[in-house]
Amino acid sequence: MQVYSVSQFVEFVNAALGSAVFPEGAAVEGEVTGYRTSQGKWIWFDLKDEGALINCFATVWQLRSPIEDGMRVRAFGLPKIHPKSGKFSLVVERVELVGEGALRRAYELLKKKLTDEGLFAPERKRPLPAFPRRIGLIASAESAAYGDFLRILGNRWGGLEIVLADVQVQGRAAVPQIVNAFRYFNEHPDAAEVLVLTRGGGSLEDLQAFNSEEVARAVFGSRLPVVVGVGHERDESLADHAADVRASTPTNAAEIVVPDRRDVAAAISAAADRLTGAMNSAVAVRAAGVADMAGHLESGARRAAAGFDLRLARLTRQAAAFAADLRSRSAAVGAASGRLTAAMAALGSGFGSGVAAKERLLRGLDPRRLLERGYALVTRAGRVVKAASDVGVGERVDIRLARGRLGAEVTDRSNV
Amino acid sequence: MPKAKKETEKFDFGAAYKELESIIGWFERGEVDLDEGLRKFERGLELARQCKGRLKEVENRVTQIKARFDELEGGE
Repeated sequence: MQVYSVSQFVEFVNAALGSAVFPEGAAVEGEVTGYRTSQGKWIWFDLKDEGALINCFATVWQLRSPIEDGMRVRAFGLPKIHPKSGKFSLVVERVELVGEGALRRAYELLKKKLTDEGLFAPERKRPLPAFPRRIGLIASAESAAYGDFLRILGNRWGGLEIVLADVQVQGRAAVPQIVNAFRYFNEHPDAAEVLVLTRGGGSLEDLQAFNSEEVARAVFGSRLPVVVGVGHERDESLADHAADVRASTPTNAAEIVVPDRRDVAAAISAAADRLTGAMNSAVAVRAAGVADMAGHLESGARRAAAGFDLRLARLTRQAAAFAADLRSRSAAVGAASGRLTAAMAALGSGFGSGVAAKERLLRGLDPRRLLERGYALVTRAGRVVKAASDVGVGERVDIRLARGRLGAEVTDRSNV
Repeated sequence: MPKAKKETEKFDFGAAYKELESIIGWFERGEVDLDEGLRKFERGLELARQCKGRLKEVENRVTQIKARFDELEGGE
């Protein structure tokens, strides 16, 4: 019989266990007990069933699933004797949670951890672009979710560029593929303006990738705002919580990411109406102001004419004629407004000439033309002074001339 | 990698819509200068026309990223 040194023996047994007995590693299923970590790096726990117990060892960076005592798990790894301590343990590379209960519990644990870290904080949620042109879509091209998303998107908005990262959304490859898709968009920020991560509904087991810490962190770490829409209304995932906007379903994600063209068309029509209304009222206000001013000039001129100045009498006639002219022009403005409103409501191209006509009319109404003729506009505190009684002796008034302004103080007044 | 599409690049719907809203805001603040108002009015209607035209676009294009995501570095 061969005699080994202790070192040789341990080395031989470890090598034999690895290459001969468990060439693909071992998977051991049992209940976790005695779970503890050390220095934030090492993890120890025992796996047990009714009849036996095996010690397990892992590193924190390898074991991403949160586990705790009482959970049922499947541990994947290699059995090994630790040379220094002689302790026999399973060196665990990966753990799968078994059963809905363990998954639910792991979900709660991770959710609490990430919540405490601030991954789901409402204040870090970013707004989405109102009218995105390029949408980065992370989904499986085979899935119903993908078809639903595109269909609703097309119903609502057009001219979009959808940049698809075709990934697996369940199974072992799902997590790294989704994480890499986010990495791709981070490295190509011009590829899209907003990202959508979506898949259909499923059991907690099916949704594992969307509940993984890696995917939640990838969503959180995205440079572009992210909409996550997973499953049916009732489902929620950690990726949802980390998203800037959470959609309840793939369909809902499409509804969130683009507006409906019918709503926008209505809003644009309303905007055009408001614009036309505002323009018309601006014209009306100005026309009324001009008519008002002309009336004052006219009556002022009359009063002066009564004071036997023949030249002023001539001016009066001119002013009266001008005022009449203005009134007929005001009517013309009204008519032009009506035509314009109709043209604008149709949003056709025919309104250009109407606007030009309106502009000419308005130029004719400009009060500055009156001032050019030597009249002055007197205001107090920004309001046109229409009667001597509007101003007290000693108050300051502002006189606007064709060129420049004068500040004046009232020294006397008569109410005639 | 997706190539930027020319037609969608030419007209920025979001920017046009925002400008239209700001023009309406300008009018609704009151104290409208007519010369400026007419210019803004015409601009506003032009924007509304362009935006409406853009709504007629119905096609969406899907471009698939060529990279295979399980082959990128540092997945796990």
